[in-house]
Amino acid sequence: MREETAVITNVDIWTAYGRGIECCWEGLLRGKTAIQPCTRFDTGHFPSRMAAVVEGIGYGGKSSLVMQMLVPLLESNKSLLPSDAVPVLASTTGEIDLLEKNVFEGTGGAVESGLGVLLEKLKAVTGIKGGGFVVSSACASSSAALGFAAGLIQNGKHDCVLVAAVDAVTEFVFSGFSSLMALDPEPAKPFDRKRAGLSLGDGAGFILLMSCARAQREGRVVIGEIAGWAMTNDANHMTGPSRDGSGLKCAIQKALERADVSAGDVGAISSHGTGTVYNDSMEMKAYAGVFGNPMPLYSIKGAVGHTMGAAGLIETAIALRVLRERVIPATIGLRDADPEAQNWVSLEKRKLEKNVVLLNNSGFGGVNAALILKG
Amino acid sequence: MNCKNNSLVKGSGWIKEGSCGCPGKNKEWQYTDVRSLCAHLLADSVLAYPIDNFGRFNRESRLVVLSAALALYDAGIVYARDRKQDIGIVGTSADGSLSSNLDYFRDYASCGRTLGRGNFFIYTLASSPLAETSIHFGLQGPLVFLRHAEDPEEKMLAQAEFMIQNRDARVLLAVVFDPQKAACYYLSGDKT
Repeated sequence: MREETAVITNVDIWTAYGRGIECCWEGLLRGKTAIQPCTRFDTGHFPSRMAAVVEGIGYGGKSSLVMQMLVPLLESNKSLLPSDAVPVLASTTGEIDLLEKNVFEGTGGAVESGLGVLLEKLKAVTGIKGGGFVVSSACASSSAALGFAAGLIQNGKHDCVLVAAVDAVTEFVFSGFSSLMALDPEPAKPFDRKRAGLSLGDGAGFILLMSCARAQREGRVVIGEIAGWAMTNDANHMTGPSRDGSGLKCAIQKALERADVSAGDVGAISSHGTGTVYNDSMEMKAYAGVFGNPMPLYSIKGAVGHTMGAAGLIETAIALRVLRERVIPATIGLRDADPEAQNWVSLEKRKLEKNVVLLNNSGFGGVNAALILKG
Repeated sequence: MNCKNNSLVKGSGWIKEGSCGCPGKNKEWQYTDVRSLCAHLLADSVLAYPIDNFGRFNRESRLVVLSAALALYDAGIVYARDRKQDIGIVGTSADGSLSSNLDYFRDYASCGRTLGRGNFFIYTLASSPLAETSIHFGLQGPLVFLRHAEDPEEKMLAQAEFMIQNRDARVLLAVVFDPQKAACYYLSGDKT
């Protein structure tokens, strides 16, 4: 491993399964979804009531929904986070519940819901000094942020970057996705013949990236490596992906090239797999274009919901577990695979045969992000 | 924003209330409303073709797409509706999508909290103006909203330069925007 290789030394997440990677991993292997009717706000007039919300997180707390997740996660890991790390925040709507409160009750300032304000709170919680960045690329925000961070390290610009990602199920996003008819009335069924939309989910997490040289110097345990990354855009439609998957295919090819690995080296695909008709079909066309023959592919969004800007980071945490355990989880929610996805997705867990996982996310505006992870 | 020391900047465009321009070509336009400005820019070949759904765009998207048209024109870049290009776009803004977030949620609340409007909701991402711009010009490179905590504009331009040097993109548009104005820079690592 080269000195400038971007390695992952610490990672933690919080999903609707509970706090930590362990309970999320166990939930995925158990095969039981964490998506259920949402009672955080009145969902009775929406086409779907389903969401994967974190227990104990809710409106009316001392802080915003996302801070209720981020603060305990970061404070319990604070001793592991170097104060000279570059903080990078990935989110789509951040503390949007503060804006909701402003609109409903006239209290607080809507400007407090801005992502820049949340970045300052992240720095205050972690004790990290210096600037830092907000990275926001719709539902590819955290995979974009991880690629951005890996680039800073691999190029020698910085040797330690903390990527924190968070988004919450709010009335704001739930009503918005409902208005686009994007929510499945049942828990999401990625790559299923009868899939009918996504389910939203709460999610938070962080990943600490270091140069290989610094990780060795500090005696850190290396969990994995971000070997390649790339972003592309479909330039097609605000809410719908390109039908032929060419944008995602291009991102995957560029990420493989940067990682200096071939398609044949990849052992599994951690897909975006939202459960919407067009997204999943677009992805399958891209994978068929890159890999030709079927290979193991899974989505965790039928389990923990679509955690929006946090999705890529949470999926990276799980992909690192896939690499460690050599086990590929089943796609929860799947019952009858769509013809395009047959022999790619599975109702059962499978064995990982190779040491590389491809991870993808896509989002509104046609953004695509691909990461190449090594164990 | 100071871009004099950035050797990768090959063109730029700006727009504010009542006027817009391209410094490299030493051209300026005055306008009273953005729709009439679109017609002028179309007649002067700054815009190669009409902007679809322009009336639906939020304020920031209108300004960003027009500033990008001016930057591409300033850099002498030809684009066509049926030809997408490997150009990325990065952008920064002090308040992100705050004004569009308020537009969406106030409308939702005033309608009885039963259903929001999709056409408002799609602009509630900080990256939405960049997405509308990439769709119009067929920009297929990376698309990312990037905001540095202390020096958003300079750091965004520096990061755009870094992304080109780091092979994340070959060519980038870097845009600074808010609901009243936008400035866009065309950066290329190509020698020509």
